[in-house]
Amino acid sequence: MPQLDERCIVAEAQTGNRAAFEELVRRYDRDVLRLALNLMKRPEDARDVYQEAFLKVYRNLHRFRFECSFYTWLYRIVTNVCLDHLRRRQARPEDQAPESNNGHADEGITDFFERQREHRPTLDPERRLFGKEIQARIATAMERLSPRERVVFEMKHYQGLKLRAIGEALGTTEETVKNSLFRATRKLRTQLGGLR
Amino acid sequence: MSANGLPRCADIAPLLVFYACDEVEPLEREQIDAHLSVCATCAAQLREEQDVQSALVSAFQPADQLDPSGTLLAQCRSELSELLDDLSAPPLRERWSPFGWARQWMALRPAWSAAALVVLGLVVGTQVALWIPGREGNFVGGQAMNVKAATLTNEDLSRMAVAGVNFPAAADSAGTVQLQVRTEQPIVLSGSVDDVDVRRVLTYVVSNGERFDPGVRLDCLDVLKTRTGEKDVRHALLAAARKDQNAAVRMKALEALRDSAADNAVRETLLEALQHDANAGVRVEAVNMLVRSLESDGHDDSAASEDAPEIAGAQIPTDPSVHRVIRVLEGLQRRDPNPYVRLRSAAALRQIGPRETQ
Repeated sequence: MPQLDERCIVAEAQTGNRAAFEELVRRYDRDVLRLALNLMKRPEDARDVYQEAFLKVYRNLHRFRFECSFYTWLYRIVTNVCLDHLRRRQARPEDQAPESNNGHADEGITDFFERQREHRPTLDPERRLFGKEIQARIATAMERLSPRERVVFEMKHYQGLKLRAIGEALGTTEETVKNSLFRATRKLRTQLGGLR
Repeated sequence: MSANGLPRCADIAPLLVFYACDEVEPLEREQIDAHLSVCATCAAQLREEQDVQSALVSAFQPADQLDPSGTLLAQCRSELSELLDDLSAPPLRERWSPFGWARQWMALRPAWSAAALVVLGLVVGTQVALWIPGREGNFVGGQAMNVKAATLTNEDLSRMAVAGVNFPAAADSAGTVQLQVRTEQPIVLSGSVDDVDVRRVLTYVVSNGERFDPGVRLDCLDVLKTRTGEKDVRHALLAAARKDQNAAVRMKALEALRDSAADNAVRETLLEALQHDANAGVRVEAVNMLVRSLESDGHDDSAASEDAPEIAGAQIPTDPSVHRVIRVLEGLQRRDPNPYVRLRSAAALRQIGPRETQ
């Protein structure tokens, strides 16, 4: 179905047309799963988020009134589900996502680019600078963010959404989102002090 | 603001985070640009901000590592589809609860309820059973009449419920099948699978899937798959493969048609399943059958060309069904969410490609 027909597809799905609903799922589920994987960091949790979010969409589609784009409405549901999961996880320390193994954590080496000189030549030159060490540091730094800060940072930098759209998705103002992004960036800079 | 009206470092610094990710208003941008051109400290802070942001964005994301091949996405789609199947299936029976008040009362008073149920059980067990005629008889199937399937009218079929199907799995080609049917009173239908009337009941169950339990439908398919040569059986299997709401039933119906995959109607059903069935398992079964049927076509064609080489080159390219198969396979190898289906489609295309270019 062509891209322009989204409103028709949503309307058709609201009448109970399963094929139309599945078309909507196919359009957005890749991004949804990516967001869930980046936030939850465990495939089984991301899978739960995926199922729960799309089931909510399926059950509540008749309430969608076209007052915003379907994408924004979908993301509102997905981010709420992600935030619920992240908050539940924070409340259970034994259920934290596994942190990446940082083999040099105790060696006192602060210059990550120096360590990355042993990288594999098959990787592309830009990405090979950011090897496992940096990933581990970034993953740890991300874990220190609050669920909302993590969602805002993820949606801004990895999903490429504007702050206004993030505000709509989270059901809050652009100003609040700005504050969250500011705090998130500050915390990350502090955590990744040596990463320059 | 400073005395001369220009923004100070303290005003600009908090905006640099947003400047670096292109989230400032045009007016703010002008002010920041102006300030940066004269303030080396803020310019250095901006570079640092940009470095950190670019490092974060360029780093591998968990999604890159956790699902590089898209397998998780395919699993999610398949599971969601099954959940939606369950949600859209009609309820097995009307929700009528004449004793709703009693259930509510019992839920609120569990101890009293347990005592009341024990007393009720004792009364029923000691008194009521005395009045049931023939209680010495064997209740297990003893009350059910054994009848011929031919006695069931179409109206009976539309009202019946099937409790179970017995079919000996032994290699008894003329095996007798038994169906426990609940109409106005329980009956047991028995007869050979070759009996048209028995098959009428079995195919009715398979074709009217929404009315019967999936387990019963699967049992009926087990019986019917031994007679796929019969037109009515094949028709029912095709209908189940296309329309049944349960993915396991659709898959089993396709599996039962495995030996007839080269048949046009069956092939059409396979293509339909490949294009529209949301369940990855069904599509995998369909693509496997299609590939096998193409292989057997290939063997048949080569045998035919040995016998009559002068018609081989003219016949194959004009077969429109093969072109349709190719179109569908091309679509699948590009778009199907299941990697196995994509691989099998690509393999099948390689297999039939040379024949098409003859």
